[in-house]
Amino acid sequence: MTDLVRMERITKYYGRVRALDDVSFSVREREIVGLLGDNGAGKSTLIKVLSGAVPASSGEIRIRGKQVDIRSTTDAIANGIETIYQDSALVTQLSIARNLFLGREPTVGPAFLNRMDHTTMNRVASELLRRVGITKRIPPTTPIAALSGGERQAVAIARAMHFDSDLIILDEPTNNLGVAETRGVLNFVRGARDSGHSCIFIAHNIHHVFQVVDRIVVLRRGKVVADDIDPKKSSIDEVELIITGMTDEELAGQPVH
Amino acid sequence: MALAHETHSRDVPADERPLLRRLIAKPEFGPLVLLVVLIVVFTAINPNFLSPLNVSNTFPFTVEFGLMALAMTLLMTAGEFDLSVGAVFGFSAVLMWTLFNQGLVPLPLAFVIAIAVAALIGLVNGLFVTRLKIPSFLVTLGMMLVVRGTALFVTDGFPQRTWNAGDQWIANLLVGDFYIGPFRLYMSLFWFILAAVIFWYILNQTKFGNWIQAAGGNPAAARARGVHVDRTKLILFMLCSAMAALAGVISSIRTSAANPNSGTGYELEVIAMVVIGGTALMGGRGTIVGTVLGVFILRLMRNGIVMIGVPGLAYNIFIGAIILGMMALHYGLERRNHAGN
Repeated sequence: MTDLVRMERITKYYGRVRALDDVSFSVREREIVGLLGDNGAGKSTLIKVLSGAVPASSGEIRIRGKQVDIRSTTDAIANGIETIYQDSALVTQLSIARNLFLGREPTVGPAFLNRMDHTTMNRVASELLRRVGITKRIPPTTPIAALSGGERQAVAIARAMHFDSDLIILDEPTNNLGVAETRGVLNFVRGARDSGHSCIFIAHNIHHVFQVVDRIVVLRRGKVVADDIDPKKSSIDEVELIITGMTDEELAGQPVH
Repeated sequence: MALAHETHSRDVPADERPLLRRLIAKPEFGPLVLLVVLIVVFTAINPNFLSPLNVSNTFPFTVEFGLMALAMTLLMTAGEFDLSVGAVFGFSAVLMWTLFNQGLVPLPLAFVIAIAVAALIGLVNGLFVTRLKIPSFLVTLGMMLVVRGTALFVTDGFPQRTWNAGDQWIANLLVGDFYIGPFRLYMSLFWFILAAVIFWYILNQTKFGNWIQAAGGNPAAARARGVHVDRTKLILFMLCSAMAALAGVISSIRTSAANPNSGTGYELEVIAMVVIGGTALMGGRGTIVGTVLGVFILRLMRNGIVMIGVPGLAYNIFIGAIILGMMALHYGLERRNHAGN
């Protein structure tokens, strides 16, 4: 598999604090990468750099070998990178269809009328909801506020899939979700890969990561400490040791929360 | 809400809730019921409430408020509001008639200048809000004082004469009167209806309307999707000021006076009309139909309580109670709808 995205020697300072220290990180075509690390390890910063939320202090980003300049979230979207945050970045007052097409609404009729093509939007939205596995008959005109957390994540994933984002970044997508909803989101992620998309999956719950990813990358104190862990050949305990940097004995001595 | 107007094909699941429940869930339902109740109660107590004379007297003033409220609906849906509309209402008429009475420009050009200057005031409001990130409450409060102060300074506090407007075509176009049966109506009613239709279309049917709602609902998410949130708000601030100017000019021609103090306190009444109609104060959700209902509720209330013998000074008690009641209703409906799914 070739690299879809490659971040090379990325360093990021917040004032005097070095949040990322010469990090190189890649995602291959049709690959789900689990990005793990303790609080403050640099996961969020790395994702913010890739999604255009913050600029890197140094380093470069390549997409399919070509260097790109990502300075904003719209730059990232234009380069095929879509980020789905915990709150899904949806407008809760708007309908599913209106959210899916926000910023890229299809129009119908004379240009000066600026009229949205509701028929197309509703039809495509219904198809997408089925495609990401929502079997419940939810009208595409339903406001996002009326959906469950898992359904909201599904809408965000559906949006990324529809606009052919090459890379979908999921930042803690299973936080605050119930068991069934979490299962649904994990299925959506597998479905995205099966449809030809690559994903970066960030979650505190290592069990969720192990269920869907092809490869695990671990960050600790702003550096990559492991970048090719195969979840089929490694145990959760081993990965936890890498994340914390502790020995077996040290980890065993930690208080249980 | 707009969603009801979106079309469905056979492959698209439709809203399967019973019709009555869907109707009740709409933000316009409460204001509609209140308006009907007000009309029934006022007419029952004083049958002259619906007399041609009373209706003819009430309509012109109502639609002047309405022109401001329609634009304010779009601005509030985008998450901002404008406290300077009352001052612009007074200032624009003063500006137009000063230019004309001094013989500087013909009346149609003075009208265009007044609207353009108002739009410029809106642009300044918008730039302060979007570029300097100052809350619209503070920006437009400051602008309200600047504009009102300018109107008073320029005129020395005296009204400008407008009674020489009678033979001007633009005056007839804006406020010319005509009769339908026993009802005396003004052209301003036509402009109000036209504006309501256009603004409804913009908010519910256009791409720009979707951006307005997104800008108010979740500006960060909207920006991330490439929506020009700041530009959208700038346009709406300009529209809001321009519509206030139009309303002020219309009022000045109808009442034959351009008073620099006119419009004082209108800003809060306009915002109350919009909120009563079901538009969310914090943005993200707006309804033009609700605003039209809100405009009529407040104006009929003012007229009706006088007609049934309640002292006019008690007006604010009723308005305050209606605002509180409608807020509770809208909040309750929203919670119930979302919990129901």
